[in-house]
Amino acid sequence: MADLKKTTDATRNKSYWRWAYGNLTCFSQEHMQTFGYLAAMLPIVDELYDDDAEKVEALSTYSTFFNTEPQLGSLVVGLTVGLEEARANGDDIDDETINGIRAGLMGPLAGLGDSIIVGTLIPILLGIGLGLSTGGSPLGAIFYIVVWNALMFFGMRFAYDKGYELGGSAVEALVGPESNALRSSIVMIGTMVIGAVAATWISINTALVLPGVGSLNDVLWTTSDTNVFGSGIFPKLLNFVFVYLCWWLMTKKKISPTMVMLILVGVALVGVLVGFFNPGLSY
Amino acid sequence: MSISVFQAALLGLFACLASLPGMGGTTIGNYTLGRPLVGGLVVGLILGDVSTGIIVGAAIQVVYIALVTPGGAVSADVRAVTYIGIPLSILAIQGQGLDPMSAEAASLAAALGAAVGTLGTVLYYGTATINLVWQGIGWKAMETGDWKTIKRQIPLVDFVYPWVGHILFSFIPTFVICMAGSQMVQVMKDYLPMDGVAMKTLFTVGSLLPAVGIAILCKQVVTKPLDWLTFAFGFTLAAVLHCNLIASAIIACFFALINYEIQQAKFGRPAIAASATGDDEEEEDI
Repeated sequence: MADLKKTTDATRNKSYWRWAYGNLTCFSQEHMQTFGYLAAMLPIVDELYDDDAEKVEALSTYSTFFNTEPQLGSLVVGLTVGLEEARANGDDIDDETINGIRAGLMGPLAGLGDSIIVGTLIPILLGIGLGLSTGGSPLGAIFYIVVWNALMFFGMRFAYDKGYELGGSAVEALVGPESNALRSSIVMIGTMVIGAVAATWISINTALVLPGVGSLNDVLWTTSDTNVFGSGIFPKLLNFVFVYLCWWLMTKKKISPTMVMLILVGVALVGVLVGFFNPGLSY
Repeated sequence: MSISVFQAALLGLFACLASLPGMGGTTIGNYTLGRPLVGGLVVGLILGDVSTGIIVGAAIQVVYIALVTPGGAVSADVRAVTYIGIPLSILAIQGQGLDPMSAEAASLAAALGAAVGTLGTVLYYGTATINLVWQGIGWKAMETGDWKTIKRQIPLVDFVYPWVGHILFSFIPTFVICMAGSQMVQVMKDYLPMDGVAMKTLFTVGSLLPAVGIAILCKQVVTKPLDWLTFAFGFTLAAVLHCNLIASAIIACFFALINYEIQQAKFGRPAIAASATGDDEEEEDI
């Protein structure tokens, strides 16, 4: 019996980097990450098959539509490298099997990656980076560049290798019910940090003066040297109100973010005209 | 202050790298160079004023802290926000004679950045549409069934040809707008006085816009009404107790740990086995 065909580390390395770099470089609305995928599978197919016709046929498998969260998506690429090896060794795996797995994974992994990587991890890192940028310090930007890229450098490679080694069970660990506890905990961190970001990095103030009471800003919350925690109704209440308003418009009224921005332009104009907002500037 | 040809060309190059879909790749291009905070550093270095760059970048970053593009649906274009919005904001802040550290400078930057970013979605669709041409070349190569052709063309299609689209839709717009920026800022100063309704509205919009960015993120993480309490907890930590974001994140991690233990207990799994598999999962989530 002939030796089992196996991709070399160097080839998988090449395939990984092609994906890590080129997953979206040739993006179109019609075929989002398809060409990134083809470019990543090309060295694998080239090594596994001897006959040119076989190579063409094997690569054609990956010409169907593909799109997912690209960082986490490394796992799917690694997984199909494993499948392609098995197929080259004569296992009964056809195009439909491979594409069924790819199609079945890209949705759940996109949801998971968008909420945990893009929706939670990046805002936390950026939030910390923003905190380090006070006064124009480059420290925050450097922190983000180093930490984000280090996490992705190891994380994406890890996902690719796990997909290759473990096959289907790697996916189970990620999207199975048992990962829920971890996911909900990570999202919890994200929610709290975003709350802190909302309090730190938005500053909405009103110029309204209530007759006989004084400035509305001071009624909402005041702090002083002797009262560092402050007193009033709730600090930065307007930040909270506007975040909730925007969220409500987007989720309950299904209004797009761009439309919400335009609505805010209207709110600002009316607010300025009635004297609720006044930045108080002059040349 | 004006932007030289060389500086504008550098900004244009970074716009090519940082877009979504950009030539710097997703991780380093879009998610690193494309973030306004990082862009603030890059633009600051190019224009020779790092601290104003960072301040402006940070102000715009808050608006786009949660720029999620589910299924490629964009509400703002990062190359426009970062490499057109930040240079224009720096010019405008200097042109208006504002203190870069002031809340007004931040509002101006946020408003300008958001306006440019929204208009910039045109550039996103432009690049993606031009890519259809390269993909067409790729499909032709696949159809020939000739392995040598395929092996040569696919990498070219994915890594090289898209540069053409970026020269058209990233480099040229960034270059032209940045070159014209100082005149535009002067015109703005002449025709729109600071105490007029238009400028007051612009600054007010700038202070309201970050709320949209935060709200987009809340859309991702708030799935039930009680999640607002979690949000309010973080909000209160920063607003009342004056915790900075690192301190808030540490407190958040502690509560998340408690939550994790409770959730695990709900599954009725022994804690030891849970933590053993838990470590693996954590790595993969990155």
